[in-house]
Amino acid sequence: MAALFGKGKPLHAFQALFDAVDTFLLTPSSVTRNGCHVRDAVDMKRIMITVMFALCPALLFGWWNVGYQHFLSAGVDPAFWPAFGYGFLQWLPMAVVVYAVGLGIEVCFAQWRGHEVAEGFFVTGFLIPMIMPPDVPLWILAVATAFSVVFAKEVFGGTGYNFLNPAIVARVFVFFAYPSVISGDKVWIAHPGMSDAVSGATPLAMESVAQIPSNWDLFVGAIPGCIGETCKIAILMGALLLAFTKVADWRIMLSVMVGGVAMAALFNAVGMTEVPVLTQLLMGGFLFGAVFMATDPVTAAHTRAGKYVYGLLVGLVAIMIRVLNKGYVEGMMLAILLMNIMAPLIDYCVVQIHIRRRKRRITQSKHEKV
Amino acid sequence: MCVWKILFIFASSLNSAVVGEKIFKIRRGLDLPVAGSAEPVVEPFAAARYCIRPSDFRWMKVQLLAHEGDVLQVGDPLFADKRDARVRICSPVAGTLRQIVRGEKRCIRALVIEPDEKQRTSRDVEIPFRLQDANAWQVREVLLQYGLWPALRQRPFSIIANPDDMPRAIFVSCFDSAPLAPDFRVLLQDCEPEWLEGIRVLQSSCPGIPIHLGLRSGSDNSLFEATEGVRLHYFHGPHPAGNVGTQIDFIAPMEKGDVVWYIHPQHVVWMGRLFLHHLLSSERRVAITGPAESHPRYVSTTFGADLDSLLAPDPQGRAVRNIGGNLLTGILLDEFPAAGFYDTQITRILEGGQREFLGWLLPGLKKWSRSHTYTAWMSRRHFPFTTSMQGGERALVMSDVYDDVFPMDFLPAELLKACIAKDVEKMEELGIYSVDSEDFALCEVVCPSKMPWQQIIEEALYYIHDNK
Repeated sequence: MAALFGKGKPLHAFQALFDAVDTFLLTPSSVTRNGCHVRDAVDMKRIMITVMFALCPALLFGWWNVGYQHFLSAGVDPAFWPAFGYGFLQWLPMAVVVYAVGLGIEVCFAQWRGHEVAEGFFVTGFLIPMIMPPDVPLWILAVATAFSVVFAKEVFGGTGYNFLNPAIVARVFVFFAYPSVISGDKVWIAHPGMSDAVSGATPLAMESVAQIPSNWDLFVGAIPGCIGETCKIAILMGALLLAFTKVADWRIMLSVMVGGVAMAALFNAVGMTEVPVLTQLLMGGFLFGAVFMATDPVTAAHTRAGKYVYGLLVGLVAIMIRVLNKGYVEGMMLAILLMNIMAPLIDYCVVQIHIRRRKRRITQSKHEKV
Repeated sequence: MCVWKILFIFASSLNSAVVGEKIFKIRRGLDLPVAGSAEPVVEPFAAARYCIRPSDFRWMKVQLLAHEGDVLQVGDPLFADKRDARVRICSPVAGTLRQIVRGEKRCIRALVIEPDEKQRTSRDVEIPFRLQDANAWQVREVLLQYGLWPALRQRPFSIIANPDDMPRAIFVSCFDSAPLAPDFRVLLQDCEPEWLEGIRVLQSSCPGIPIHLGLRSGSDNSLFEATEGVRLHYFHGPHPAGNVGTQIDFIAPMEKGDVVWYIHPQHVVWMGRLFLHHLLSSERRVAITGPAESHPRYVSTTFGADLDSLLAPDPQGRAVRNIGGNLLTGILLDEFPAAGFYDTQITRILEGGQREFLGWLLPGLKKWSRSHTYTAWMSRRHFPFTTSMQGGERALVMSDVYDDVFPMDFLPAELLKACIAKDVEKMEELGIYSVDSEDFALCEVVCPSKMPWQQIIEEALYYIHDNK
């Protein structure tokens, strides 16, 4: 069958698609030739599926929470399974649209370049619906996905060559191009009802500290918000899996937290905000961004020392944007995007310091020998 | 800038080695859980033919000195390096040069020698001076004449040392940490006088130049510790602790313009044999190892001996790959299954390539992975390694998995990127001159993007060498 898709064969135009489906179903038959004769079993598919597993708790909770918030706002008693089913049905078309658009573009580019389809979009496509309002119009989702895949990734060469996190670019695209669908009181609840009993605003949009839900509510996550970001317990479960499997770097997660705590404490100390430090960390997409977005190995700093700096700055800038600019309440996405741009500079500095240190070490070693 | 420095020092404090009481403790590295180490049993072996591959000698441009049908004595020159005709490779056996096998673009793949009936692999030679009275150039001339010079290789580039150079130091790694590596106590058994004389030969050929011996801490090093006039350094930890590149970087890191030499202890013994007994013999031990070998053991033979008759097919009829060298850096042996000039090991492993339904999704209980994405971390047993690539080649995505298996003071991913970009200045700054492709073998093993690290590094080294 593979012969039909070879060069000069009738179905060659679909080779990338065939390869993608073929290697999805069966592991490749390639063997080593030169160099190392044995290889680690881990490959990009395994890494991506691990990230998706890590996202699953947050997604499952998100399904339930979307339904729960909807029924609550409609004044209906939210039972578990109806809420779960409602959320799932709300999410499903979003996921279908994102994957259809994104993978379609990926396959076209792979065919055009004569490459295999990279697995990066499996995670990107999983993330995009999780960081969007549950009610976002599907055509906007499609445009945002297409924009991010083409302009944040493929124009630079595809997965591994992009310097911006494509999922965040999709969200930022919606944020700036269609601000009405991603800000305001009611967007964070799917088809909100008319009951005024429950406020629909996300905690970030609440001006008075007294309006912000308790830390426990923020931690559990049964509050309005994006599909994936509200339940901090589920996000922490994902963080544990990612850190344990070494798929995402715990150094970045830790340093984002440290940066966030430092900045929040500073603002508290100078009296610029009354929101407590812990609440800052639990609010909005800070934790979700720290665990799943900032740790993207392609767009984060690549050097180990650079990762500490990168994470620290993500945390600092996220809280800074959040506190200083009420217009951009979700500072995390902008902070990560900004640091994505700065990451090569951080790496450059680390490499230069390494080179200088190495030279010093050599000189010292020669001096000792003499 | 101060903040940068503090952060950098913090990151560096997690560095892989600490120096204290002459022991370099290496933490970053990897020992593959693979079965099939050689039993300490040595069998003599007389080969039916000898295959000398010019490709064993990196980037050598071959100038043939023998022709098909020539009758050869032990030590008769077979070919020389066109760049320096003094560097010659000599016949390890007496016999007839039966065939010169050529490949693409008429490159010489192998010289096939049929040994004579007596199977002579040694010859008495005259050395017209005493070692202690000789100067460096006289000693070097003898080594060149009898084809022992190629045993000395240099960094940068891991090519045969230039006979006109005076290196900064000579390094001898006295243990091999590669998967299923041979035990040097077996390799050098009963060779103490020759070893000691061999070291004296090195000292005479490079007077005043320090010789560094890298030893495995905690194992029996009595032979090496008895050596006079050398500096001993102990290494503790997983592979690549035994790689000479690792040892160079920890003992005396190199920069542009530095040249150091290195040599395998078995070759030191060859030199000792020549000067001590006036006997030219490339007799040495080779370990036949690997999970697909039913009887892992050592054989006593010379370089180039065709081991085909020793390599039994798999009893269940599965395809077996024979590797000249270890699993990480060896070459695939096909038509000429002979241990190369520098090899002390043959590794045998089952061919892979079996396709598995949704293999990337299943738990993979029998799959080995250094990452915790499979369950291998729960088990301490050996894994059934095969030659499967286990994934498709992708762009470099995971940038930090390499640091965990790379003990030297390097930024491996940054160096790889500079090599791909052919950015010579950056490569030099990042220390390309002290490393070789073998130092990046573990990065290649664990690479989730399945990138050919060793090939990239070797091509970059060749690029620099060619454009010098």
